[in-house]
Amino acid sequence: MGARGGHPRNPDGGRIVILDLHTHSVVSDDGRAKVPNYCQWIRARDLPIEGFVLTEHRQFDFASDYSGLAREFGLTILKASEVETEYGHVLVFGVTEALTKAFDFADIHLPLAQVIEEAERHGAVPVPCHPGRKRVGMAAHIGELGVPEGVRIVEIFNGGSRGEEDRIAAAMASEQNYQGIGGSDAHIVSHIGRCATRFDGAVGSEGELAEALRGGGFEALSFREQA
Amino acid sequence: MTVTRITDVEFGDTLPVFDPDTRLANVARFVEAAHWNGPRFTDHEAARAEGLPGALVPGIMSQGFLAAMIHRWAPKAEILYVDTVFRAPVIVDQPCHINGVVTDLDEATGEVEIDLTVTNDAGETRVFGTARARLPN
Repeated sequence: MGARGGHPRNPDGGRIVILDLHTHSVVSDDGRAKVPNYCQWIRARDLPIEGFVLTEHRQFDFASDYSGLAREFGLTILKASEVETEYGHVLVFGVTEALTKAFDFADIHLPLAQVIEEAERHGAVPVPCHPGRKRVGMAAHIGELGVPEGVRIVEIFNGGSRGEEDRIAAAMASEQNYQGIGGSDAHIVSHIGRCATRFDGAVGSEGELAEALRGGGFEALSFREQA
Repeated sequence: MTVTRITDVEFGDTLPVFDPDTRLANVARFVEAAHWNGPRFTDHEAARAEGLPGALVPGIMSQGFLAAMIHRWAPKAEILYVDTVFRAPVIVDQPCHINGVVTDLDEATGEVEIDLTVTNDAGETRVFGTARARLPN
């Protein structure tokens, strides 16, 4: 299901891409990281990731253009969203302008079924994140609300996880036959790259990311130091 | 190691880890001085009765630890702000570690930005944030 640490290589010699799929910048209300500093940090620390996805809370950041930074640092910088549902928080990859009009991203009580349905209708991919976390994670709500329809991928490695949260997420993924992704959930610069996802092929745009997630050729990675 | 000038600092520098005294007696002294006295900070059983995992280190005390770490590293620094996000409680009598790393600097103004975390022995982040400080040129 997932791998811990190391620098994975594709045994077939094909190109692999490692992206941190869950980061926040100062655009998020609790984000404290500036995107140029993320780039500097990745290069200064020689982190084993080729890029990252900014998943700002309850919005899609149309305004920011990181293409210059991406070129300057040789990194892939993509954008997505983290929305809030009755099952907890959900990353949405492949967000389009039309999708942002299909439901209110700022609503903290979105029905997960609606997020899944509209995401799929618009070519996006919903991924419940930190599902092992109390209150804001999916596993905590299954007992009361049942197993939701339509979930195919969950975040099994989250850089901000405490205690048993990642283990609960991985167990749920195994039980429900979900695929797993990894992301650092970085809100400060030095937390980027703690967890990531390896793709078997190029991912250079939001659309390609959604396509790669639908294709299933990926694996969650954790680079967190074990205490 | 301490720094005295902005030119001593580089992007990515790690500040010496500070392991503060979170024992009950020290927290009790702090809350008395801060006029924040209350059983949730000084009595594990009373805190558990409130549904907490144990007596809490007050948030302003954690912020004080963060500021203290910066001044141990750069005694002449002027701290412009400490901005914290509390993700999980810091529990009295449980060791915690105050960590900092330089994530931005401007030699012209002498200002540095520092990522701050309070972690426990399991490496879990309980508090994170950033600070901005100015060092002499």
